[in-house]
Amino acid sequence: MLGEFEYLLITAAATLGDDAYGAAIREEIESTTRHRCSIGALYTTIDRLEKKGLVKTWMGQATAERGGRSKRMVRVTPKGVHAAKEFYNAVTRISQGVSWVVQ
Amino acid sequence: MSATGWGLVELVAGLLSPHEREAVLGDLAEANENALRSIFDVLGLFFRRQAVLWCDWRPWLTGFGVALPSSYLLMCVSASVTSTYVRLFEPRIFLYGLPTGHEGFSLLMCHIFLLIAWSWTAGFEVGSLSRRTLWASLILCLVPCFSCSAMFFPLPKAALFLFVVPGIWGLRHGLRFMSVERTFGLALAATVTVLMLITWKYDALWAFNWGLILPVWYLAAAAWRYVPVSARTV
Repeated sequence: MLGEFEYLLITAAATLGDDAYGAAIREEIESTTRHRCSIGALYTTIDRLEKKGLVKTWMGQATAERGGRSKRMVRVTPKGVHAAKEFYNAVTRISQGVSWVVQ
Repeated sequence: MSATGWGLVELVAGLLSPHEREAVLGDLAEANENALRSIFDVLGLFFRRQAVLWCDWRPWLTGFGVALPSSYLLMCVSASVTSTYVRLFEPRIFLYGLPTGHEGFSLLMCHIFLLIAWSWTAGFEVGSLSRRTLWASLILCLVPCFSCSAMFFPLPKAALFLFVVPGIWGLRHGLRFMSVERTFGLALAATVTVLMLITWKYDALWAFNWGLILPVWYLAAAAWRYVPVSARTV
């Protein structure tokens, strides 16, 4: 089963679709969770997910705003979609009936 | 970010692999983060990458199992070869208490060949098994060089490092090619083993030097993975 950060990364990449690359995924995660996402955590997790066959990456085009440097593009594979769905369903199931009231 | 700050970030990013450096520097430029945070980000990624590498057995084996003990043993062999040479060709010079094989030209030749073969194969193993943690293996290799060189005081310092050149030669070969030709690997392993047995028979081999046979037979075992250029698929 996925870890929570792996789930966040796959979900962000799936949301961004064809525009999913390192900086964009990082910004998406930071704006959604309101927590800082380090580049180290991002790229090591992308590598781990790629090894598991859950995402596919390749070097994309360079843009002027990046100082002429290439992007590392990310695409979620069907296996990745399945794993994310499984994680989401598990979280949804376990959350049913829970009341978040501090005793 | 200032030009100086960006220059520092680019310098630190040199620790990353070329593709990763390209993507990370692009991300940092796009996010327009300050220099200090960018440097911490790059260093964080580098240390995470290193931590992943050290979860594997290879860096431990090459660092603590090959580089560290081999450099100590090969330094002793270098000293032994030098003192044997001096005693043979400069008999007026006395070097009591220094390691040496039994005197004799043929045994000296044998030791010189073994020194080159041991150094080359140890370098090859370090190069082929721990490319990305090479820095750690090199530091471990330097530890005995600095801490034990005073043991062989009368000998010139350079004489203790005869193993360095063949070691670097083997290291470069290991970095470029993961293996050697089968015939070469087996022939080298067999020759080294026979020569070690001969020197052992003449009491001219330190028992610990048998440890140096492991990289030699690793080379022979790795040679079985060798795929000739003509059989490689593109």
